[in-house]
Parts: sequence; structure tokens; C-alpha cells
Amino acid sequence: MLRLHQGRWALLATAFFTSFCFSQNINLCSACHGADGNSITFGVPSIAGQPKLFIENQLVLFREGMRESDQMLAAMKGLKDPEIIKLAEHFSKLPAKAAPGTVQRDLFYKGQQLAMKNRCGICHLADFSGQQQVPRLAGQREEYLLAEMKAYRDNKRKGGDTIMAASLYGITDEEISALAHFLSRRVRKPVPR
Amino acid sequence: MRNAIAAAVAAAFVFSAAQAQQKPPPAWHQGKGPNMADSKLAPHAGKMTETPAADIPVKNLRMPAGFRAEVWASGLPGGRAMAVSEDGKKVWVGTRIIGRVYEVSDDGKTRAVRVVVDKLTQPAGVAYNKGSLYVFAIDKVLRYDGIAKNPGVQPADMTAKFDLPPEQHHNWKYIAFGPDGKLYVPFGSPCNICEPPTKEYGQIRRYNADGSGKEVLATGVRNSVGFDWHPKTKELWFTDHGRDWAGDDGPQDELNKISKIGQNFGFPYCHANGIPDPDIKKDGACKGVTRPVALMGPHAAAMGIKWYTGKMFPAEYRQSAFVVRKGSWNRSKPFGFDVIQVTPNEDGKGVKIRSFISGWNQDKDSYKFWGRPAYIAQMPDGALLVSDEQVGAIYRISYRAPAAKK
Repeated sequence: MLRLHQGRWALLATAFFTSFCFSQNINLCSACHGADGNSITFGVPSIAGQPKLFIENQLVLFREGMRESDQMLAAMKGLKDPEIIKLAEHFSKLPAKAAPGTVQRDLFYKGQQLAMKNRCGICHLADFSGQQQVPRLAGQREEYLLAEMKAYRDNKRKGGDTIMAASLYGITDEEISALAHFLSRRVRKPVPR
Repeated sequence: MRNAIAAAVAAAFVFSAAQAQQKPPPAWHQGKGPNMADSKLAPHAGKMTETPAADIPVKNLRMPAGFRAEVWASGLPGGRAMAVSEDGKKVWVGTRIIGRVYEVSDDGKTRAVRVVVDKLTQPAGVAYNKGSLYVFAIDKVLRYDGIAKNPGVQPADMTAKFDLPPEQHHNWKYIAFGPDGKLYVPFGSPCNICEPPTKEYGQIRRYNADGSGKEVLATGVRNSVGFDWHPKTKELWFTDHGRDWAGDDGPQDELNKISKIGQNFGFPYCHANGIPDPDIKKDGACKGVTRPVALMGPHAAAMGIKWYTGKMFPAEYRQSAFVVRKGSWNRSKPFGFDVIQVTPNEDGKGVKIRSFISGWNQDKDSYKFWGRPAYIAQMPDGALLVSDEQVGAIYRISYRAPAAKK
């Protein structure tokens, strides 16, 4: 009887500890990425509503030191695969909000045409909401999209599939600016002209 | 309005065509015409977290009577090409995105997995030769001498010897030592379809083990990530992936053989059994192009090939190679997701193809795969190892003659 009780206490304590650790992990993420996963910090991406597998893969790449970021390397230190999967599950279910800022119409339409020409919507889906390992671009922070697309083009973003570098091969800075603006302002329905 | 957009898009295409002449763009979307704009086909997601052995439904694999598949090792996310030590007690496994090389140690009962090296850019190529493990990442070559006995050995950096070109796409490697003791290395074309920016792409080369004596054996190769030597003729047979975005049914992947040095296998102008490319055109596109020995199917992703030389399987398999088809993505319905047995016809022309292992994708009309086979290795006892890149596991395929029926 006593042994049974002890077992129950141990179980309860483990459950408490696990959920405590999980909420600690979430708090750590939220400090930079926003309480609801929608970032209000310059240069830091929104992670709310990103595909679960995309978040999982990126967290593994940060932990392994493949995708380079000192902050993310530190944040992921010691995290095991099951913990990463739980975090991905959590943030993938949070609703994504549109990035802050106004629409510059000419830049927006230029970006829209470039996105069509470059067939971004095949992998990222027509509404750029992403799927599986492919991130949501719609509503992502503009300066983040800009920096990441440049890094892909210049082969500086390591730890991804080479397909993104190959897709952005030869694209100009100006074109990337237009794409980043369009994608960050992209909402579910096209803006009427 | 619509016309204005169409004109702008057309202008953009003309502009990119003009740009193309100055700087060939090996962009991955090359060859994706306007009719593809609404396509929903995208490369399948890889998985980078561990899949516990209990979650791998190996019982769903189907193979001829007498053969059995079991999970031999798991917990190797992204594991693909394998190199086996002489005694079969160590297997080294390369990966792509996750950047690791694993070592699996077998004590006869269980397998332990450790990471030999990580943070490499797609270290897909692994080969074991005379006590040394060779690791080829896209931009780095490492050699671990005596690693089977000395697991902590520091690698020698051989990168400078191998002339690795700068473009990364399709330049992850499969590598192997030939019967001539030389190291064979492919250099893929850095695009879906394009005239490669320089001549160093689209090749299969061989080197001496120390990286000297570079020789280009084959050109016009799109992306070969699997080869092996016929045990009698010693000819190199290699798989090659066909281009994407040219329809569901082709051009098919190829199984080729090199019968003399310097053969041209057609990329980017000529595909499969003599199909001129619809985007990159030239007169006499297929003239002088060596045709494949066999077609491996549309978008099949033909990967590893292994001629069977063991004693465990029935005699009929000793004339055959096994080829792994990791499975299509650029196709409305799935193709591949299996291992096939390829047997050359006795007259030397063509081959017979038979299913060997299937069941990774159980719905012929839709993508419902639970795993994706990638490579084959043969063990000293004649059993085969088959790697599954999706679930990060290695299966052991063994044979026991079914009991005679009375």
C-alpha cells in the first residue's frame, strides 16, 4: 500500500515537473517571439501558425548548430527531440497575425508579380500559409523575410535544403525587398487595386 | 488590367532570358512553365527527429517468400548511404540536412548509435577503404584513419585535393571505392534543368584514394546518387534522376552503365530513351548520347544500387542488382517507394525488373508513405541492410528457405 502511494507521488511529481519544464520552455520562446508567437521584436520571426514540422526541423537545426544563431543555440541547449516536438505542436496551433506596417501599393504589386514568376506558391501554397517543412510566409515580419532571403541567395543560411538557395539564385536586392514587402503584407484575400 | 499583368510577366520572362545569357541561372524553378503555376507538387518533408523503433511499421513491408525484414538500427534521423567495415560490426551512415555522420556498432545482439561528426553541410557520402572512413560533405572531405579500432581518431582534412565546385544544389554526394581501388565521386548539375554554369558539374569522376589523379569518367549526368560495379564485367552501373516539371510521366529516371571513359549521358539536352528537353534545346540533342540500360520510372528517385554477391539469398539473386526507388514527389500519383530486383538479359540487351520490397507507400493513388528507402549495403553474412531516410532507421533483410510443403 505504501509502495503504491509512493509510486503515485512519484508519478504526480514527474507530471508536475514535466509541465513546469514545458512552460519554462514556452516562456523562454515567448520572451522574443511574442507571448502568442507573433513577434513584435525587430528581426525576430513570428512562429505562431507555422507548420509543425517546419518548427521541429528548424529547432533541430538550431540545436545542432547547423542553422547559425547564438541565441537559438543557447535556447535549444540540452533539449531532446520529444521536447522539441511539443514546442512545435504548441506554436503551430497558435493563430498567426499579420505583420505590422502599412502597404506600399507599388512595392506590394511588384512583389506579387515576382512571387508568381518565381512560383513561390507551389511549395509555400497559393496563400503562402506554408505546409509541412515549408514555412508560412504570409504575414511574417518584413525585415526578417528580407534578411533570410538574402542569406539564402548568398549561400549564407546554412542548414536548409539547397532548393531555396537554388530558387533565389541571381535575384536582385531590389526584387527581394519587393517580395518581402508583399509576403509580409499578404493577407488571406488579395488586396483590390 | 489582366493584359497589363500578362505583359509585365512576359517582360519579366524576356528580361530573365536576357539575363540568362550573361549568367546562366541554375534556379530550381527553371523549367516550371506558366502552366505549372497552380501545381501543388512540392518535395516531401524530411523528418529530423528520432522515430522510436516501435513506431516503425516494418511488418507492412512486402517481399518474396522466405525473406524477412526487421528494424536493425533506429534513432538515426536522416540516415541514408552506408559504409560497412570488413567484419560488418560497424556501419557508418551519412545524412543531408541534419549534418551528421552516424556510426552503428553491432555487438551481435543490439546496435548502438553514436554521432562521429556533425555540423557538416550535407555529409551524404561515406565510404570505407583499407581501414579509413571517407566522408564527403558538399564543401568538405574528411578521412578517419583506423576508426573501427580508434573511435576518437581526429580526421584528416582532404578538401583541398578534390576540387569541389562552389554550387551546392545537387552536389551532395554518394561515394564508393571501385574494384580498381579508386574513389568515385559524382558532381550533380546545380539545378532542375539548365546548362550548368561551368563544366565541372554533371560529371562522375574518379580519384586515387589520396585525391590525386582526377579523371572525368562521364558527363551529361543530371544527379547521380548511387552506383555499383557489376561483379563480373566490373563496369560501373549508376542511377540518375530525371528532371522535374515536365509532366507526370517523365522523363524517367535512368539506370546507366559506363562502358568507356568520357561517355556523355545527355543532360541537359537529352533525357531517358532519347527525349529532347522541352526547355533547353539544341540541334541533334541526342546525338552521341549514351542511352540508359534501363528506365527506372517517372520521378522514381532511383537511389542506391547493389549487385548481390552474397551466399544467403537464392542463386537467382546472384545475377541481379537491387535498386532502391525512394519515391516520387513531382508527380500527381506516387511512383516508387520500393526496392526492385534488376537482372540483365542474357543477350546483354535490356534488363528484367521485378519488385523486391514494397509497402512503404500503401496507397497507389495518393502519398501516404510512412517511410522512404534510400540505400542498400551487403553484410558479410549475405544479408542486406536497407536504410530509410524518412524514419532514420536501417532494416536487415534476411532469407531462410520456406519449409517444403508436403
